[in-house]
Amino acid sequence: MIRIAAVGDVHVDKDVLGRFRPALEELPDRADALLIAGDLTRHGTVDEARCFVTEFGGLGVPVVVVLGNHDHQSDQQARVTDVLTDAGITVLEGEATVLELHGHRLGIAGVKGFGGGFAGACASNFGEREMKEFVGTTEVIAQRLEAALMSVQVDALVALTHYAPVPDTLVGEPLEIYAFLGCYQLGRAIDATPAALALHGHAHHGSERGRTPGGVPVRNVAHPVIKQAYNVYQLLSDSVDSALVAN
Amino acid sequence: MSTQLDEYLEAEIQSLLTDGRIAELGITVNRREHHLVLGGEVESTQRRDAICLQINERFPDVQIVCDIGITRAQAPSEVEEIS
Repeated sequence: MIRIAAVGDVHVDKDVLGRFRPALEELPDRADALLIAGDLTRHGTVDEARCFVTEFGGLGVPVVVVLGNHDHQSDQQARVTDVLTDAGITVLEGEATVLELHGHRLGIAGVKGFGGGFAGACASNFGEREMKEFVGTTEVIAQRLEAALMSVQVDALVALTHYAPVPDTLVGEPLEIYAFLGCYQLGRAIDATPAALALHGHAHHGSERGRTPGGVPVRNVAHPVIKQAYNVYQLLSDSVDSALVAN
Repeated sequence: MSTQLDEYLEAEIQSLLTDGRIAELGITVNRREHHLVLGGEVESTQRRDAICLQINERFPDVQIVCDIGITRAQAPSEVEEIS
């Protein structure tokens, strides 16, 4: 049995310091690792990255993250990544990492992802250069996610993105902005692999649960959606603590 | 001339919400007959107050009602088994 905690869109700056910490101090008693689905910071500055490290670092369990669109706002994503990495946090962008937990191998592959939309209402790689660059970016990122997912041999595989791989978890958002919240290419990449779970954020008004067309469970862990410091998901269940499992 | 509560005003407020300083993409703006209602959630009371202050300063003759909440950050009490 592996338990992973997950949250996204925590948007840390000085004014958030201390808000998550009490719940995070309890995290090692509840989960074996923490995954964060992007938008770690508010404007993507180095100072905010340091605040994030202060709040989410040194937990005693591995912390694995992807960046979100907010973390790109100041064009300092490389320096933000350095601050996180120096603090022992694993930052994924087209890569995978393997955690050895209770004798099991948990693989996590991550990309930020991008928009583009979903079947019947998606952008096409056609027309103006800007449009082709937009959709081309989406396609390249999805290909990198699939390659990262396929690069590891593990007992349980998790896809971690900021943008959504399915529309199910966007329900609650205006239909008109779905194309800016995710894309079908991420879902297709996940479905081409043996992923057991896909986690994303970005859609603050979306819904918590969905599935890819291929049946992979998808969870939107954006903080305003889950409304608590983190959710805990149990994989590879061989024994269940009934006191903690939802009825 | 007083500011019209029309969709251009709504768009301008959404633009202000997503500018470099506020950087909140998850705030809703609902037009009522005589006022605007801001909704959604942010990560701190300071952020909520700053949003309302900046919109009030930019549109002083528009009545703003702030229903923006602060996202709770307590530890979870349940585990979801994925199958």
